[in-house]
Formats: sequence, structure tokens, C-alpha cells
Amino acid sequence: MPRLAKTLAFVLVSLTAGNGWAQVTNPSLTILSREGRRALPVTVINGQDYVAVDELAAPFGTAAREAAGGLTLTAGGRTIIVTADQTVVSVAGRLVSLPAPALRRDNRWYVPLDFLPRALSPALDTRLDLRRPSRLLITGDLRVPRIVARVESGSASTSVTFEITPVTPAKVGIESGRLVVQFEADALDLAVPTLPQQAFLSSITLADTGSAVNIGTGPRYGAFRSSSSQPDASSSRLTVDLLPATTDLAGAAAAAATAAPDPVRPSVTLTPSTGLRTVVIDPGHGGDELGAQGPRGTLEKDITLAVSRRLRTMIESRLGLRVFLTREDDRTISHDDRSAFANSHQADVFLSIHANAAVRPAIKGAEVYYLSVERADAEARKRAEDAAITLPALGGGTRSIDLILWETAQSRYLEQSSTLAGMIESGLRARVEMSPRAVQQAPFRVLVGANMPATLVEIGYLSNPEQEQQLASAAYQERVAEALYDALVRFRGLLERAAP
Amino acid sequence: MSGLGRLLRTPAEPAPEAAAEAPELAPPPGPPAAGPRIKATLFYASADGQRMVGVEREVPLAEGTVAQARALVEALLAGDAPAPLSSTIPEGTTLRGVFVSARNEVFVDLDATVRTKHPGGSMQELLTVYSLVNTIVVNLPTVSEVQILINGQEADTLAGHVDLRRPLRKNEGLIVTPDTPTESPS
Repeated sequence: MPRLAKTLAFVLVSLTAGNGWAQVTNPSLTILSREGRRALPVTVINGQDYVAVDELAAPFGTAAREAAGGLTLTAGGRTIIVTADQTVVSVAGRLVSLPAPALRRDNRWYVPLDFLPRALSPALDTRLDLRRPSRLLITGDLRVPRIVARVESGSASTSVTFEITPVTPAKVGIESGRLVVQFEADALDLAVPTLPQQAFLSSITLADTGSAVNIGTGPRYGAFRSSSSQPDASSSRLTVDLLPATTDLAGAAAAAATAAPDPVRPSVTLTPSTGLRTVVIDPGHGGDELGAQGPRGTLEKDITLAVSRRLRTMIESRLGLRVFLTREDDRTISHDDRSAFANSHQADVFLSIHANAAVRPAIKGAEVYYLSVERADAEARKRAEDAAITLPALGGGTRSIDLILWETAQSRYLEQSSTLAGMIESGLRARVEMSPRAVQQAPFRVLVGANMPATLVEIGYLSNPEQEQQLASAAYQERVAEALYDALVRFRGLLERAAP
Repeated sequence: MSGLGRLLRTPAEPAPEAAAEAPELAPPPGPPAAGPRIKATLFYASADGQRMVGVEREVPLAEGTVAQARALVEALLAGDAPAPLSSTIPEGTTLRGVFVSARNEVFVDLDATVRTKHPGGSMQELLTVYSLVNTIVVNLPTVSEVQILINGQEADTLAGHVDLRRPLRKNEGLIVTPDTPTESPS
């Protein structure tokens, strides 16, 4: 069906002179290799991140030749065939699907970023690990763990926790009078939250060596204590507690030396066996895409990010689950990238946070959506499954998984998504005003590709002046986050009961 | 542009039937006003703005699915919703074309105004999309699916929420009959 539409669309476009295509340059990707760092320019076309094929020649030694609407790319002695406006490419005779079509614009060829790990990597027979949030492309066997730092401040101490993926040994020590965490890695992909004014902590920075993190201490700091744990097979956790100077410095130092994995924070439950371990929160819109706008100018993209951050803090500090946001700041992200992010982090739940707008200012209240599946989607899924049997797949079976992921992943989770939506609705109803149409189904784009239970939550109407004020307030945002948190706790209970 | 593409036809979009479908181009808009007219149900936003209401109105009678779909959409785009209802489509939106596939899916091609002037919000987006889909499907018995194109191109979404990459079916859940008024907003 999309094929037909494109054919028709082409007829129209060719009749319309000057039909523009938006092109924006995004922060480039950094290629990390044994040879060092190198920038790879990224171009945003139709909301998707693309790279120009000619830019691949220098870093990867590719050679391109154009022929009859297609591009033949030689990489590592293998041939990749790219066709304009097609979402599949052929890699040494095997088909690989991409989330967006290859494009030819202004005499240059562009491929979506996923081309790098999905097509170029098998052609070169080299690992290419694409880290979208940190805009890194890691090549070969470089060890570059993703390290997400989190800070919890108390009146008597401050805890810095590092979530490390994959599992990487690390050691905390004092070097030249500074507190340093040394990782067994070639480089680090480090994410640090904005730090408030701290009595114990002044900074968390990447060391010049690239493989260590410096913890700058504050005026009240006197000693540290560290502990490590492994919440699941794919990641490890290191907690460094910054303590005040006490008379028992020796004791604290001894504790640090032994680094016993004692339960440092009893309030945090580390339960690797649970059915809910990773949550991905998707702050709706962002960057050029403002979303809805209130009469006083409040932007949906800002509200969704603020609520998502509150919810993350709540889940991390109370449940000890892994939480990732699809965007940490104000940036444009495509729908496919949002669900792909959740899929690649193997999230157990995907929550997309939005604020609504209506033409009538009187409308208010929160709503929860889960996906409705159109017949065309069901057909696409069937086709994908049929195709999986008949077509060669790269790496044995990758292909069918890919196609289901992008086109119809969510349809397998509708029942759980519906349950989750109901739990969110009751959590919200206890705290904020609900719309008369509280739980609904709709064909929402961002939910389609999510390979886990997923809902989209409209937390209120920005077009209502009273709600615009509420949505911008910390109190309302906190109530919404509490409601979502409650729902996740209930949903986790359900998953645990369902588990053997 | 599509030469090599045939070698790479993807299972995500194989639809050999679709490949065989010939686009049926809409004839230029016929002479307005005079001529026979039919009664059709057009969908507008309800007074509370959270659902849509079908209203019976007269539109020009046209020959064939394409021309009749065009007449229906033109009537909807005219926007003169009877109070207290309101139009769901941004003012100034124009219809670039209507097509129908051999499988009777109707493609409605709107200009970019529908996106640039859209106020945003998933509720309003659902109303815009489904007032078009419902108006066509309810009045044309042979049609069950409608896809919206923007500026001649397949669109991801209209305002960031509703998936427009595939044809959509009629949405009953959003329709409210005037006899069963919706809950009034507090």
C-alpha cells in the first residue's frame, strides 16, 4: 500500500515545481576507533537522521558507483546495493531493512543512520555500535561502556551511582588527592545529570585519559565508601557514597578498601528476577517539533521533558529499576528512533508522555491511549511473517525480527498495553482531573514499533488556561509522576505474578 | 528512479496487486453550484470538542468514487459547520487531489496547510484525521479505507501522533449522535 501511495505521490510531486524537503544539519556523530576520534556529519531529512554516503569513504574506505537509479557501494570487498526511496538494501546479496528509505538529493546519496550497524557493519565484518543518545559510533572491539551517573543527596551524605552497560570492572580510589573511578575500558560513554549545589559533591567529569571518571568533592566531604552490584546480566552498578569527615576516618577507609557489596541503601530493592527491570520514558516532541502550545506560550515539549525527568527520579530512587529517556534535552527525534531506543534497551515498558490541545479552551483532563491496530497493519504483519520464511535473512533470522519490530511490533502486546493503560488511568484519576474519555485506543505512530507494553499518556490540556498553569507547576507534574509511578508498581506486580 | 527498485521489492511492501494497480487520476473539479445534489453525512467536531457529529448536508452529485470523494472533501474543507459544531480542519487547507486504488482505498492529498496551521494535540489531530476518513467511508459504500497524503507525499503523521503511513478505517468510537449528548466539560 505505501508503495502505491509513493507512486501516486511521485506523479504529483513531479507536477509541482519546487517541492521542498527539509534539510537540517544535526550534531554530527563521533566515530570512535583504535585510530582515534573522527566526526561524521549527520543530516536530518523528513525527521530522520541521515548520513551522506560519500562521507563514509574516508573513515571506512568505501567506494561508490552510481547506476540506473541505484548506488553500488563497495565496502570491505563486499557489495552493497542502495536504491533511491527504498527501505531495503542488499548486502552481498542479502537483504537488510532500514527504518527509512535511502534518498538521493542534490547529487548526493543519503542513508539512515541504521545503515551503519545494519548494512555497513556486516559488509566490513566489523562491529559498528551506534549509540544514538550520545551520538557515538563505536567500531571494532573497542570497549566503550555506557555509563549513566545518578546522584542522590541526603543531609548526611550523597550517593553517586553509576549504571554501567555492559558489565565492566571498575575501581574507586584516590589519585593525586582526587577521587577517581577507573574503568577497564578504552573509552567511556558517560552521561551525567545536571548537578544541584552540593555539600559533598562539586562535579562528575570524564578524566583526560578517557577511561576514568573524576568525582569532584564538596566542602563537607571527608570520606567515601563504595559498593558494587550486578542487577542483571547486561549491566553492573557502582555506588560511591560521599560521607562527612568523621572521627572514624579509619573505619570508613577500611570499608572502602574491602568494598564489600553491602546493602548501602536498603530502600532500594535490587530484584533481578522481576519481570519489570527497564523502563523507557519518551518525552513527547522536542527540538523543532514544539507539540501543542498553551495560550501563555507554554510548550508541550518542555512539559513532557520535565514530567519524564521527575518520573525517572522517582522510579530510580524508589524501585532501583533502570530508566532511560528517549531524549535528555530539547532535540528533534523521529518516531522510529524513539521506539528503536526502547527496543534496543530491551525495555519492559514504554511510556510516551504528551500534553494535549483542543480548539475549545474548556476541554481539560488527562487521557491514556494504547494502540489500535488497523487491518492494514495486521496484513503487514502477516506479510512480514510470510516473507521471513521465504527470504534469506542476514545473520539467520534477523530479518524477520527487524520487520516485525518496525511495522507491527506493538500488536503482540495490546492486551498488556491495555492493562497498563487501565492502571495508569486509575493512578491518574486518584490525583488529577480526567477527561470524560479517559482510556482510548488510537493508531499512534510512536507506539507502533514498540516491542513491549506501551501507552501514550496525555497528562492534560495545554489549551485550557487553568490546565496550562497546572501543567507548568511542580506540584501538578509531581502528582502526574506519582500516578505513573503507582501504575508501574502495580504493573510490575502483575508481571511478577505472571512469571513462573 | 525506480528501475533497480524492482529488484529490491521488500516484503514490507510487496503487494503485487498494488503494483498492478493503475492510479485513477481525478478529473479536474467540475462546474460548481448548479447540477444535481445529494444528501451526505459530513463530520464536524462536537460542541464539547472531544468527539465528532455527523450532519446531513447537500453536496454536488458526482460521477464515480473519485469525483464523489472529492466533492465530499471539498464540502468538508469549506468549513461552515453548523453551530455549535466546529470544523476539524485548519482553515485554508486545500485539496490537491483524490485517488482511488483498485482495492478501493481512497487517497486524499491535502496541501501543507493542514499541518502548518494545525493547533497540535492528539485529540485535535484524531478529529482532523477521522472527520475526513469517516466522511468518505460513511458516504461511499464501496470504500472502507482512506489514506491521507500531505503535499503529494506519504506522511508520517499530521501533528506528531496519528500514524498516516497506512490507510485508516472508519472510527466509530469518536462519533457521537446528537441524541446522546456527550458529557459536558466542567
